[in-house]
Amino acid sequence: MSSPVLLTDVAQQFAGRGPARLALDGVTLSIAAGEFICVVGPSGCGKSTLLDLVAGHTRPVRGSVVVDGAKVTGPGLDRVMVFQEHALFPWLSVRDNVGFGLKNAGIADAEREATVTEWLAKVGLSDAADLHPHQLSGGMRQRAALARAFAMRPQVLLMDEPFSALDAPSRDRLHVELQDLWQETGTTIIFVTHNVREAVALGSRVVVLSSGPGHIIGEVAVGLQRPRVVESDRVVALAREVRGLLDAADQLGISAPRGGSEDGHVSI
Amino acid sequence: MSASEVTAGAQPADASAGVVRERAQRGRKALPILVTGVVILALWALTSAFVDTLPSPADTGGELVRMAKDGQLFSIFGRVTAFMGICFAIAAVGGVALGLLIGAHPALDRGLSPYLAALQGMPTSMWIPVAAVVLGTSVFSLGAVVSIGAMPAVMLATRSAVKSVPPLLIRAGRTYGADRGTLMRHVVLPAALPGITTGLELGWSIAFRCLVAGEIFSGALSGSVSGTGIGSVIARSRETGDLTEMMATIMIVLAFTMLVDRLVFARVHHRLRVSRGLVDAGLPH
Repeated sequence: MSSPVLLTDVAQQFAGRGPARLALDGVTLSIAAGEFICVVGPSGCGKSTLLDLVAGHTRPVRGSVVVDGAKVTGPGLDRVMVFQEHALFPWLSVRDNVGFGLKNAGIADAEREATVTEWLAKVGLSDAADLHPHQLSGGMRQRAALARAFAMRPQVLLMDEPFSALDAPSRDRLHVELQDLWQETGTTIIFVTHNVREAVALGSRVVVLSSGPGHIIGEVAVGLQRPRVVESDRVVALAREVRGLLDAADQLGISAPRGGSEDGHVSI
Repeated sequence: MSASEVTAGAQPADASAGVVRERAQRGRKALPILVTGVVILALWALTSAFVDTLPSPADTGGELVRMAKDGQLFSIFGRVTAFMGICFAIAAVGGVALGLLIGAHPALDRGLSPYLAALQGMPTSMWIPVAAVVLGTSVFSLGAVVSIGAMPAVMLATRSAVKSVPPLLIRAGRTYGADRGTLMRHVVLPAALPGITTGLELGWSIAFRCLVAGEIFSGALSGSVSGTGIGSVIARSRETGDLTEMMATIMIVLAFTMLVDRLVFARVHHRLRVSRGLVDAGLPH
C-alpha cells in the first residue's frame, strides 16, 4: 500500500530574510515502502527542512522530491507530520483533534467516529477522549498526536523530533509503542532526531546528516530485533558507530561538535 | 471544575449534590458583588447629604419607581437594548470579517492599519455632526456612526489576534488537510477568539459612548414625540438643573451595562479560558 519516497540531488535554502544560506545540498535518498528510517544529525543540518520538503510545505531550489511516483507540489493527506510540540488544537477535545484530518478528508461521520475510537484505543487514550489537550500529561498529548497522524492512514509519516520534549519514562514507552504501530500498519516513517541512540533504537536504517550545508555522510543499516530500547547494549554499540561517522565529519572541519548532550549537539 | 466532574458518567446522587454545591458556590461568588454595591450606595448617600444638587439614592429610587410605572424605564431600556444590539451586531460581524481579511493579507494590512489605528484613536463621536448634516438626525444616522465607529477597534483586535496565532497550529492545520477556508474557520478563528473577544468588548464600550454622545447632540434615539429617551432626559436636566431623573437614567444604563458584562462578556471570557486550560482546574500536567 505504501510507496517509496525518492529525493534526487535536492538543495534547499533556509527560510527567512538575509542572504540565502543552503540548508541542504546534494541530498539523494531513496526510501522503500514500509521502511522506518531515522535521520540523525546536529541542529541546523537541515533535518527539519528535509521533512518540510517531503511534506510539501516548501519546494526545493534544486532537485526533485517524488512520493509514490508523483512530484511533491504541496501538502497532502498521504504525508502527515508529527511535530516536536504536540501541535494539538487546544480548543478541541482529544476526540475532535484526532478526527480533524479525517473530517477535512471528507470521511463520513460514522466511519470517522469508528476510526477515531479505534485509534484512541490503540494509543491507550479511550478514557481521555473527551478531555482537552491541556488536561493531558506530556506523554498523553504526544500519544494523541500519534493517533491523529496514524488515523489518516498516511503513506508516509513524517516525525520531527516528536519525543525530544518528553520525560525519559514517557519517551521509552512511546519508543516501544511507535515500533508496534509501525509493524502493525506498515507505514513508511521518516523520523528526524538529534539523539543517536533514539535513531538506532527506532530505525531500520539510520541516515547521518552533517551540516554546513546539510548532506548525507553515511548510512547504517540496523538489523537488531524489535522492539528495541535505547539502553540495550547492542543499540548503544551501534550508536557509537554512528557517532563515529559524525566525529569523522567533524575532523573534516564540518561542524558536529563533540561533548555529548549539550543543546544543539549530537548526543549518544 | 473539579476532578470528579471531569470523569465521565458521574452517579445521579453525585449530580444532584453537584447542583447544590454549584448553587452554593454561585452564592459565594455573588456576595462580594452585593457588598461592593451596598458600599457604593452608602458613599453616594453620604455625598448627597452634603451636596445639595446631588439627588439621594432614596430620591433616585423613587424616581425609578415613577419611571417604571409610566413605562419610561422600559422604554429607555428597550430602546437602548435594541439600538445597541443591532449596531453592535453589525460592528461585530463586519469588524471580525474585515479583521480576518486584513490579518490574512499583509499588503492590505500595511495599507489599512495606520488609518484604522488613527480612526480608533479618534473619538468616534466627532463624526456625529458630520453624519447629522449629511444623513440627517434620524436614528439611522446615529446607527451608522455607532456601527461603523466601533468597527476599527474590532478590526484591529481581530487582526492582531490573527497575527499572533501560533504558526505551529497553522502548519498542523495544513498538514491535516485544511484548505484556506477550513484553516480560517477551524484553526485561525478559534485560535484568535480570546483576542477577538477583547476587541469586541472594546468595540462595545466605544459604541455605547458614541450612542450617548449622539443623544447629547441630537437626541435621535429619544423620539421626537414621546421625549422619554436619554437625550430628552439630558436636555430636561440641563434646563431645570434637577438631576433626579438624570441619576435614575444613569442607574438604568449602569444596570444595562452590568447585565451585558455579567451575562455575555464575563461568561464568554470564562468559557474560552476554561476550554483552553488557562484556568487552573487542579488537573495533572
